[in-house]
Amino acid sequence: MSDVLWALFHVCIFPGGLFALAFALYLKGLDRILVARMQRRVGPPVIQPLLDIAKLLTKETLIPKTACKSVFLYAPVIGMTGMAACAAFMPIPGVFDGMYNMGDLLVLFYLLPIPALAMMLGGSSSSSPFGAIGFSREMLIMLSYEVPLLMILLTVAMITGKATGLGTADFSLLNIVQYQLNHGQFGLNPIMIPAFVAYLMFLPGTIGVPPFDVAEAETEILEGPLLEYGGPLLALFQIGSALKTFVVLSLGVVLFFPGTICDIWIFNLVWFMVKVLIFMFIAISLLRSATGRFRIDQAMVFYFKIPAVLALISLVLVMVV
Amino acid sequence: MSLDNLLKKASVRSPWLFRINAGSCNGCDVELATTALIPRYDVERLGCHYTGSPRQADIVLVTGPVTVQMRDYVVRVWNEIPEPKVTVAVGICPISGGVFRDSYSIAGPLSKLVPVDVNVPGCPPRPQAIMEAVVLARSIWMKKLGLEEK
Amino acid sequence: MAGFLNVLLRNIISGPSTDPFPFGETFSPKSIRGRILIDPERCLGCGMCRHVCVAGAINITKTENDWTITIWQDSCCLCRSCVTYCPMHAMSIDPDWHSAHAEEDKFKRIEQHTIEYQPCAGCGKSMRVISLERAKELYAKDENINPEEIRHLCRSCRQLRDAERKTNSLAHPERTTTKVLS
Repeated sequence: MSDVLWALFHVCIFPGGLFALAFALYLKGLDRILVARMQRRVGPPVIQPLLDIAKLLTKETLIPKTACKSVFLYAPVIGMTGMAACAAFMPIPGVFDGMYNMGDLLVLFYLLPIPALAMMLGGSSSSSPFGAIGFSREMLIMLSYEVPLLMILLTVAMITGKATGLGTADFSLLNIVQYQLNHGQFGLNPIMIPAFVAYLMFLPGTIGVPPFDVAEAETEILEGPLLEYGGPLLALFQIGSALKTFVVLSLGVVLFFPGTICDIWIFNLVWFMVKVLIFMFIAISLLRSATGRFRIDQAMVFYFKIPAVLALISLVLVMVV
Repeated sequence: MSLDNLLKKASVRSPWLFRINAGSCNGCDVELATTALIPRYDVERLGCHYTGSPRQADIVLVTGPVTVQMRDYVVRVWNEIPEPKVTVAVGICPISGGVFRDSYSIAGPLSKLVPVDVNVPGCPPRPQAIMEAVVLARSIWMKKLGLEEK
Repeated sequence: MAGFLNVLLRNIISGPSTDPFPFGETFSPKSIRGRILIDPERCLGCGMCRHVCVAGAINITKTENDWTITIWQDSCCLCRSCVTYCPMHAMSIDPDWHSAHAEEDKFKRIEQHTIEYQPCAGCGKSMRVISLERAKELYAKDENINPEEIRHLCRSCRQLRDAERKTNSLAHPERTTTKVLS
């Protein structure tokens, strides 16, 4: 009984649910401020994403006459719940060990594309031509970034599995974190540096920020799949995308820099959050304000040429060494 | 204070802007882009955000003297914006027709087609004047939501 | 890319350069075109401004005793033609650019003056008396003419007065200080 209660607590309050949502919205707000500051603007207040969601909840819901109504309504719910479940799997080093310690990295890998899939569902069901274009673009960019992601996860799992004497890949996040706490972090391991760089390149693609925001290019195809969404449904999409930001950033921290600073859990939590912020600054804010947008074919070629090759180098090195 | 009221109070701090170019000469559009892009004016500080979709808009900025070709599209796009919405006519063209007033190809002024809430004349108006119009539109939005202005 | 990053980091350090405008003060250049003003002292009602106005913002209605000149600021495109062409320099541009207003005030943003005719000092016909200032400007070259007196005369009375003066000066050249025929 208490196991169920604990599981509920982890899904609804910490680290999934409330904590993840609050931190993710804070990340989004801070990202907007950072980008504004880099362009010498003042920027919105930190709570702006929250205000946006509050605003969207007060608006009316419009459903296009020709849309497939049920898919159109449930797509944002699917995207949001998928990411909320993802957030509960996330171990926070020194604070929380993760919910299940067997192969949860694989579960994460299967859950991560859910927001993109939800967006594709929403875009294709909205019966808008821009939604259809957004659908095909979202699919293409997803296919491009999933390949390096799989190789990065495989690399991390292999190195852990080899070191712990399992022989094969170890997909348990807890084991990965424990191994790094005892034997040094993967981000500082020369073999793993190409994989780490590849992960940094994967981040903007999966979150959909420039230069990889080809699917939701608002100046080109008017937000693509989100074109017909407004009101509470769009708020769900925004919550889903904020949670996704949190999940992929903390996954990066867990895979490459899970170091703790002391034994007190509150300091470890703060240290973890600081690391997520630094990740966000490098991989999202800095890149977003410095670059324009790739064409869809350029983005795809980029993902197959650079991050995939970098991840492959790491994978081969791990296999050989 | 009820939750509903709290949401409404928060909502006016996030007005999303949508532009309709109804045959404008682009002068006003350049000034609108200026308010968003140039650090000196920074309209994002008010929580504004230019959306590409009419479904997500709260404040509609219409530029240009609604031409006969654009008339039906303007009305159609305007109808796609969810309530409550505030319409702002930017520049003299949508307000009165301006220099195009008696042309055979003009169906305006805008107030003949849709209810306008705020006017900001000028040819084009200053970016600061457009920001004033956004602030004014926000207070009108509060009135539409039934909130008292502070 | 490296140059870009350098600029971005420098921007973070140097801080934002945004005007505090909707919440605070902003700068306004002196020569900015805000709204057109009419000086009712100077306007003659000649209709030149209405003729040159591209936006059709100026209207003049004349009755027997007066005329009304109206500028609708919501139609004025601030091209400054009326300022250039007004023979009496009655038009001017004010740098007040605060033009945003609610729909109810759309037709209240007007500049309107009703100017009355006055009787001519010579014949009593109703006529427009030009301002003393402008009269002084116009007759500055000729010190024999009293601007205060001549501004109250209608056109035919002025012609009469002029003819009288010219005859006088031809008959008695020593009395005039300036040469009339040059």
